[in-house]
Amino acid sequence: MSEINLEKIDAFRWKIPKSYKPGMRVPGIIYADEKLLKDIRQDKALEQVANVAFLPGIVRASLAMPDIHWGYGFPIGGVAATDIENGGVVSPGGVGFDINCGVRLLKTNLQYEDVRNKLKELTYALFSDIPSGVGSKGDIRVSAREEKEILVKGAQWAVEKGYGTRDDLDCTEENGAIQGADPAAVSERAYERGKAQSGTLGSGNHFLEIQVIDQLYDRDACDELNLNLGQVTIMIHSGSRGFGYQVCEDYTRSLVHCLAKYNINVPDRQLASAPVDSAEGKAYLGAMKCAANYAWANRQCLMHLTRLTFERIFNLSWQKLGMFLIYDVAHNIAKIEKHIVEGKEKVLCVHRKGATRAIPAGHPALPVKYKQLGQPVIIPGDMGRNSYLLIGQAGAAETFYSACHGAGRLKSRTASARSENADTLLKELESRGIIVKASGRGTIVEEAPQAYKDVNDVVDVVHNAGLSKRVCRMRPLGVIKG
Amino acid sequence: MENYEVFEHTADIGIRVKGKDLKSLFKNAGLAIFRISSRRQFTKNKTHTRINLKISSDNLEGLFIDWLNELLSLSASRGLIFHNIKIDKLEDNAIEAIALGSDINNYKVNTEIKAATYHQLKVAKNAAGWQAEVILDV
Repeated sequence: MSEINLEKIDAFRWKIPKSYKPGMRVPGIIYADEKLLKDIRQDKALEQVANVAFLPGIVRASLAMPDIHWGYGFPIGGVAATDIENGGVVSPGGVGFDINCGVRLLKTNLQYEDVRNKLKELTYALFSDIPSGVGSKGDIRVSAREEKEILVKGAQWAVEKGYGTRDDLDCTEENGAIQGADPAAVSERAYERGKAQSGTLGSGNHFLEIQVIDQLYDRDACDELNLNLGQVTIMIHSGSRGFGYQVCEDYTRSLVHCLAKYNINVPDRQLASAPVDSAEGKAYLGAMKCAANYAWANRQCLMHLTRLTFERIFNLSWQKLGMFLIYDVAHNIAKIEKHIVEGKEKVLCVHRKGATRAIPAGHPALPVKYKQLGQPVIIPGDMGRNSYLLIGQAGAAETFYSACHGAGRLKSRTASARSENADTLLKELESRGIIVKASGRGTIVEEAPQAYKDVNDVVDVVHNAGLSKRVCRMRPLGVIKG
Repeated sequence: MENYEVFEHTADIGIRVKGKDLKSLFKNAGLAIFRISSRRQFTKNKTHTRINLKISSDNLEGLFIDWLNELLSLSASRGLIFHNIKIDKLEDNAIEAIALGSDINNYKVNTEIKAATYHQLKVAKNAAGWQAEVILDV
């Protein structure tokens, strides 16, 4: 429970003043309404927002999205940008263990009526075709040489193997391969831990969902994206698997030493960091980018497997089924980006720990097809309620063009497991037209809708604060969980 | 009575572990992470694998985290679940131990523990022996 005195800026912005804790270099700003703030105060996330404000070189504020909750080091839902020229640091804890955990959204030209009678068959087929669960290994086998190639080429590697098209890369943040990946900065153990996990979903909150659009908010944007009410979409949520965990662990351990070396004073060792310009900072970013590319290759492979399953069930090519990628976004990543701070253009290291990049129309990083529209921002919710598609807005300049990343947990996994029963929950979801297939019963109760905040409330804040605008809303039909 | 208990954390899992001395604290914590994540259900492979561990760190807390992370990392990369641990040598900044692992396919793994974190880490001596609190990223 947090008793921090927050200053109200407006209905959607709250401030933790710099004076809250000696050592804070900037204030904390939380994007939330009164209702969400009550939940946010239940755990230690606000204290973590204040702790992040200690990072050397941090500019403007330690930011928190409305889905913020207690993490380790950074809060989940945290955004922090550091000024590289002024000793700005990079922190592996500001990215997390699942580097480039992210989501992609595909559309189809199927309507709800087309899948209604096939939903069970489709969900079960996807569950059997897509390796999921703890430590799951995939059918997509790669040699040691190829593994290094994945780290540099990311999703492009998958496309070269025939697992997708160039259009898919256009619709992926960083074209599915962030530049500057350095395989030499990756430990042998990370290679071992990531081996054979390409094309696997993983476990926990990772999922693959068949969804249907149940609400349109912005007709023009929907027209531009060819999206209609009742249309079927597919969402994939996964990350860099064991490979990313090991990169984060290796560098957290080595960057703990940098705290003394570079005289960095932070209240939590999980905020271990090093100047972006230092040898240690550069090595971490080189390795982190490898993990980010691994994750983009992984989501591309998962999408390929999904397309194959749909092709088999509907006996039509995926192109005929209209299974085109709308966009793929990372929500655990640190990126070097240019932003205007106090009237000057600065090169910043932007940490998004459970936050999504959200750039507006006209931004140079956008592919041609989204130049006029702005970046699609994909927000997954829990398996019983909704998910959203939004578009980045100019107002997000104040958050270094970042928005929320999901609903955000409300209850701990243990509390959720205590209060939920897997059979009852599955029956209840099925009665509402939602089929769930999971590797473990534990996952079902831990991931119960009640364990999450209502994504509708979270997205309302992001929309009303002008960070991104709502385009359409989906509801789940078939859910594959790890 | 279990020598560990789980405490609440919104996104992850916290564990509180006890030991009559430092060696048993490290052993109990090492075994607890696998007790939490997996249940033995099958005997597909009877082979046991012995792994020698030698880890050094800056201080006791760092060693505790490095120890747990090394076990998790070895478990994931070698496909093993550790069910017994013998600690030969333990100082404030170094540990030598043997971990005995069984094929992961003999187990039903419910939770993937990614890593042990420094966040709110406590390793301390008390009247009854030693106690540690650690938050695991799941």
